[in-house]
Amino acid sequence: MDPKTVHIEFTLNGSPRSLEIPGAASALWVIRNLIGLKGAKEGCGIGECGACTIEVDGKAVNSCLMLAAQLDGADVLTVEGLASEDGLHPLQSSFLEHHGVQCGFCTPGLLMSTHALLKENPHPDHAQVSKAIAGNLCRCTGYRQIFASIEDAVKHNSGEAAQ
Amino acid sequence: MMNTGYVRPRTLEDALAFLAENSGKTRIVAGGTDVMVDLRAGTLKTDYLLDVSRLQALRGIEIIGNDLSVGAAATLSEIYNSAILEAHAPALQKSAVNFASKQIRNVATIGGNVAHCSPCGDTLPALAIHEARAVLSSPAGERQVPIEAIASGPYMCALPQNEIITRFILKPATVAFADFQKIGRRKELAVARMSMAYMADKDAEGRICFFRFALGACTPTPQRNHRIEAMLTGQIPDAARIWEAGRVLAEDTIAVTGRRASAVYKESAIQGLFMRMVYPLV
Ligand SMILES: Cc1cc2nc3c(=O)[nH]c(=O)nc-3n(C[C@H](O)[C@H](O)[C@H](O)COP(=O)(O)OP(=O)(O)OC[C@H]3O[C@@H](n4cnc5c(N)ncnc54)[C@H](O)[C@@H]3O)c2cc1C
Ligand code: FES
Ligand code: FES
Repeated sequence: MDPKTVHIEFTLNGSPRSLEIPGAASALWVIRNLIGLKGAKEGCGIGECGACTIEVDGKAVNSCLMLAAQLDGADVLTVEGLASEDGLHPLQSSFLEHHGVQCGFCTPGLLMSTHALLKENPHPDHAQVSKAIAGNLCRCTGYRQIFASIEDAVKHNSGEAAQ
Repeated sequence: MMNTGYVRPRTLEDALAFLAENSGKTRIVAGGTDVMVDLRAGTLKTDYLLDVSRLQALRGIEIIGNDLSVGAAATLSEIYNSAILEAHAPALQKSAVNFASKQIRNVATIGGNVAHCSPCGDTLPALAIHEARAVLSSPAGERQVPIEAIASGPYMCALPQNEIITRFILKPATVAFADFQKIGRRKELAVARMSMAYMADKDAEGRICFFRFALGACTPTPQRNHRIEAMLTGQIPDAARIWEAGRVLAEDTIAVTGRRASAVYKESAIQGLFMRMVYPLV
């Protein structure tokens, strides 16, 4: 087997995936360019902005810094996996309601960081939210609306925001 | 990107064999948070990436006899959340608190932090005060190297290319006081310009009976400062004494790095940071 291409199998937003990828490709590149899901964004490409944040086995990671080969065997969630047939995820609705979205470039990453946090801790306080999203930069909102969106979702969270 | 292969052996033995066979054209990768940045920048060219992040031999944080063993593939999040480290190496646990971002802590490893050999590695001062030794494996066997000997200069790792760091052996310490502090341009996601770690205990009379201190980032390699340790051990701590120790520390550091234009800032920053960190002893 030529190890320059790697065969990986993982679960993406609940569906099994199996594909051949270049050995050094980033998870972000594969998700955007081979799979065609454009929710995760490339802001900086070097771990500083969080626009590429996805969840791998329940944990928020920068997909620009992760080798796609390391997704093998993992359970992966991108922003496309948040909404269900019943409509938007409660976190997404809260971002809309509280104007947490302006240009929207940072939004998928923020949603994924917050989603991962709520799984770990369904009722985080302000400081815990701040720590969890410190790796997500937003150039538009000044963060106040983002905190308002998250904190309102937390207030109404009886568990479904982490689903 | 198209010319680089990826391998993920199942066992340490297989990984070492691959490394031995492909020495010089293989780069180890764990969390990838340094490797991916270097690949993207084009400063790292390699035939193979050898993924060690899932090797069982590199995982886990545990007390073994009188030693504290921290697996090289332990992530900064695992270090952050470790009750064992909070009890036995609190400064190391604290060094994970303001490390990069949550997303990076979730994958970045302590082995990668040490092997990257950047003088600003946040885990280095805490490892130094616990007199940590890195356990290096090669097909020839295991050897142990003191943490201060691994980074022989900024980004000049003294590791030969056919070895894998499997874990770090620390002297555990249960102490009343311990901390890690750094100065960067901002709180999160900032590369430390200056960092330091200490741990200490006081006896029944309030004298400092145990004091360990190491400085990182501003010197070419992170190092314990035995002079400061000796100055404070046996003393009743007060603000003036700590301030004086901070001055000596600043002087020592400038002696190593040379008196450049930044020295004026550095001197008072080192002294100030030391004061802030150690003041809880008073
Ligand atoms: C945005 C950003 C912010 C950052 N902030 C901080 C910070 O606050 N503090 C800090 O200290 N660092 C910081 N870093 C640097 C980096 O995250 C750390 O150095 C991290 O600990 C590296 O670990 P890793 O597992 O990701 O290493 P990798 O990138 O996988 O590897 C790094 C190096 O170590 C070698 N290596 C890895 N594991 C082993 C092993 N077991 N045996 C032998 N060699 C090995 C690799 O070959 C490579 O040369 C930051 C990086 C980024 C991108
Ligand atoms: S694109 Fe990944 S952190 Fe900026
Ligand atoms: S809404 Fe534009 S970057 Fe956050």
